[in-house]
Amino acid sequence: MFLQQLVNGLVIGGVYALFALGFTLIFGIHKIMNLAHGGIFMTGAFIGLYSVQAGLPLWLAFILAMVGAGLVSVIIEVTAFRRLRQSGEVEFSALISSIGANLVLVSIAQILSKTQVLRFPFDTFPVVIFKLWGLRVSALQLAMAVLAILLVAGLSWYLYRTGFGRQVRAVAQNERAALLAGIRPSVIYFQTFMLSGMLAGAAGVLVGLAFNSIHFMMGDPFLLRGFVVVILGGLGSVAGALVASLGFGVLQTLSVAYLSSRLSDIIIFGLLFAVLLLRPNGLFGQDEAGVLRGRR
Amino acid sequence: MTDLVLEHVHKNFGGVIAAKDVSMRVPAGRITGLIGPNGAGKTTLINLITGMLSLSSGKVLFGDRDISAEPADKVARAGMGRTFQNIRLQKEASVLANVMVGFHRHETCSLIAAILGLPSSRREDALLRQRAMALLGRFGMAGHADSPAGSLAYGHQRKVEMMRALATDPELILLDEPVAGMNDVEALQLGRIFRELADEGKAILLIEHNMRFVQELCDHVYVLDGGRLIAEGKPREVVADPAVITAYLGEE
Amino acid sequence: MDMLLSFRPLFDLFLIHLGFAYSQYIVLRAGAFSIGNVGLSAIGAYTAAILTVNYGLPLPVTLLAGTFAGLAFGALLAIPLARLRGVYQAIASLAFVQIVLSANLYAENITGGAMGFSGIPKLVGTGTLLVCALATIYVMLAISRSRLGRAFDAVREDEGMAVSLGINAARTQAVAYMISGLLAGLFGSLEALHSYAVEPNQFGFHLIIVVLSYVVLGGRRSIWGPLVGVALLIALPEISRPLADARIMIYGLILMAVMNFMPRGIVDTLVARRRSRAATPEVRQAEVKG
Repeated sequence: MFLQQLVNGLVIGGVYALFALGFTLIFGIHKIMNLAHGGIFMTGAFIGLYSVQAGLPLWLAFILAMVGAGLVSVIIEVTAFRRLRQSGEVEFSALISSIGANLVLVSIAQILSKTQVLRFPFDTFPVVIFKLWGLRVSALQLAMAVLAILLVAGLSWYLYRTGFGRQVRAVAQNERAALLAGIRPSVIYFQTFMLSGMLAGAAGVLVGLAFNSIHFMMGDPFLLRGFVVVILGGLGSVAGALVASLGFGVLQTLSVAYLSSRLSDIIIFGLLFAVLLLRPNGLFGQDEAGVLRGRR
Repeated sequence: MTDLVLEHVHKNFGGVIAAKDVSMRVPAGRITGLIGPNGAGKTTLINLITGMLSLSSGKVLFGDRDISAEPADKVARAGMGRTFQNIRLQKEASVLANVMVGFHRHETCSLIAAILGLPSSRREDALLRQRAMALLGRFGMAGHADSPAGSLAYGHQRKVEMMRALATDPELILLDEPVAGMNDVEALQLGRIFRELADEGKAILLIEHNMRFVQELCDHVYVLDGGRLIAEGKPREVVADPAVITAYLGEE
Repeated sequence: MDMLLSFRPLFDLFLIHLGFAYSQYIVLRAGAFSIGNVGLSAIGAYTAAILTVNYGLPLPVTLLAGTFAGLAFGALLAIPLARLRGVYQAIASLAFVQIVLSANLYAENITGGAMGFSGIPKLVGTGTLLVCALATIYVMLAISRSRLGRAFDAVREDEGMAVSLGINAARTQAVAYMISGLLAGLFGSLEALHSYAVEPNQFGFHLIIVVLSYVVLGGRRSIWGPLVGVALLIALPEISRPLADARIMIYGLILMAVMNFMPRGIVDTLVARRRSRAATPEVRQAEVKG
């Protein structure tokens, strides 16, 4: 039973990883907390759903959802954040602006869905359950795990093996130096927001399939839990987000299974609070100077 | 009458040595200069003295008090005032409001009085307003009392910083390039005020690039390069010191 | 007369939210990026509700208890939050709100859980609300003109500079947290004793955004900022009633627009413009005189 929940937790952790990576990518590079991330995640789920309802095969709907969510993410960068870079106090303004953008996305989804909870058509994904080593693993869970691994691997390859990725990492390290070296900011912004959106969109479709419910408010609880993951792993750290996501998935699943969902929430957010108190830069995060006040 | 003494102050920023074995004395009643090429670590030293940066090793003594480990706000309350190289004013607040913040360490009315707007708070406020206006008068800025600080000319903004530092009624004043960007007339005015302050018994540490200003005002000068003191003495001697000349030439 | 009376519920809402807005405003003014006041309002509301319904305590006592609960938790919250910077403070305060919400749902026996707490007698009317709102504005004015207001502004605008003047930044912000908690607790209690029932989710993410928007729209520095913010945003649903479904979208667009074009908020921007225009001729004259 415990192992079963462990597996369940890891799978959901993989999906959290997709969500968290997109979020931490933007923060690590642009130092912006993008609270519209939940809305982008939800948008991916909606695009996936409407594509399937329109008759497209699931694999195509998935790709469309990723691309669509990525594009929405880029649009948000242009409308909500671009102009703010010039002013001071970007942190606060960007946060509020992203809240506004999120509300716009949620509102559009609400109107389109007429406030209903939507579901994927019954036969969208084959309901097949494998029995491996005494554990029950559904085909969907396998697909989620595989996709999560593929996407994360893809992201790592992009960040660490391509020229583009190197530029992105350079900007994350030291923006001014990178710009002086001739890296064009608009290209970086486009890529990072696109990537972030694509990952969120993928997570959205997977969650929509896994829990078989898609509604305009589905982004909020994910965003809140995404915070926990991202802080645990250290804002801006890819490896940290990954490890923390898996750990978090397991923690949440186990605490819901053995305690109660209410208590689970208290534990989760209590953990977030405690981490911020005791080890605010998380597992692999940036140096404490960015997080704590006081002298060096 | 409080002297400032640095004993073997050392600061290591994870590999980069910003201050290396710096020992100096800033006596009360005198104007002491600190000069050096750009990047020599002068502002870092000021930050170490005021407690904004922590020391890696060494001591900072203020009078008979060891302030080496004290945080910046405590050091300031001990009687240290400073101005900033890159003018840090509240740009939208009025000149008067900017100066009045300087009185913070001398405010005595209780928090409850402030929150409820009790007469004691209002009385103290009126009193501080008067004292601030007096300061503005001394610096010839009375007409600007209500202007937003950010709208003033550069030289005037430096004066506001000066007034704010003086409002704290410090025993020691650290001036980080106080006359940069000022014309000779304004610089002369300020120089006279510095002399007055020193005569009142305050200790003054002056960082400046304007050599004539330094020579006219300072009783003693320290030269910093690459975090180390490379020379000290009377201004005329120091300026002629070959080590100092080399350090400045290297700047080009 | 009837028409005026029909606006009463709206006016009551305006007064209560004015209190919430000032609770948010005071921490932002001191430069502390905390959005936890909503959680403090929840604590105040439930404290007052439970004491009234379960223990039959009279109004002044329950209000005081709710206010004090807010104040106490506000002070407690300050301790961990004071160490953190910027967005990290915001996240920690968000976690706090979630913890309060989850604990509320979990402690069903005391709080009624997800069903909420109902049957609260309506002991608070427009008169009480008005008195409290006016008192709040008075206190805000008093603070603004005092050493506390100056300390808040200094810490918010440039902490390094404030510290160089001897201001203890952490302690100054702790005071802001306490005042914020006091207001949150008070107006949370007023809300509970005015609305017959409270439920956990009314003090969640949604309210955080609403209250934050009041201050963002109106302004974080001038004390009239929250007033203008609440007035405009409360009036908005009324004005935009025909556009019911798009209301949230308009809300979101307003937030984005304000941050992009008037980041300091309406009142602060107007005040700044008026001041610089008034000062310029004077400055020019003075510079000519030398």
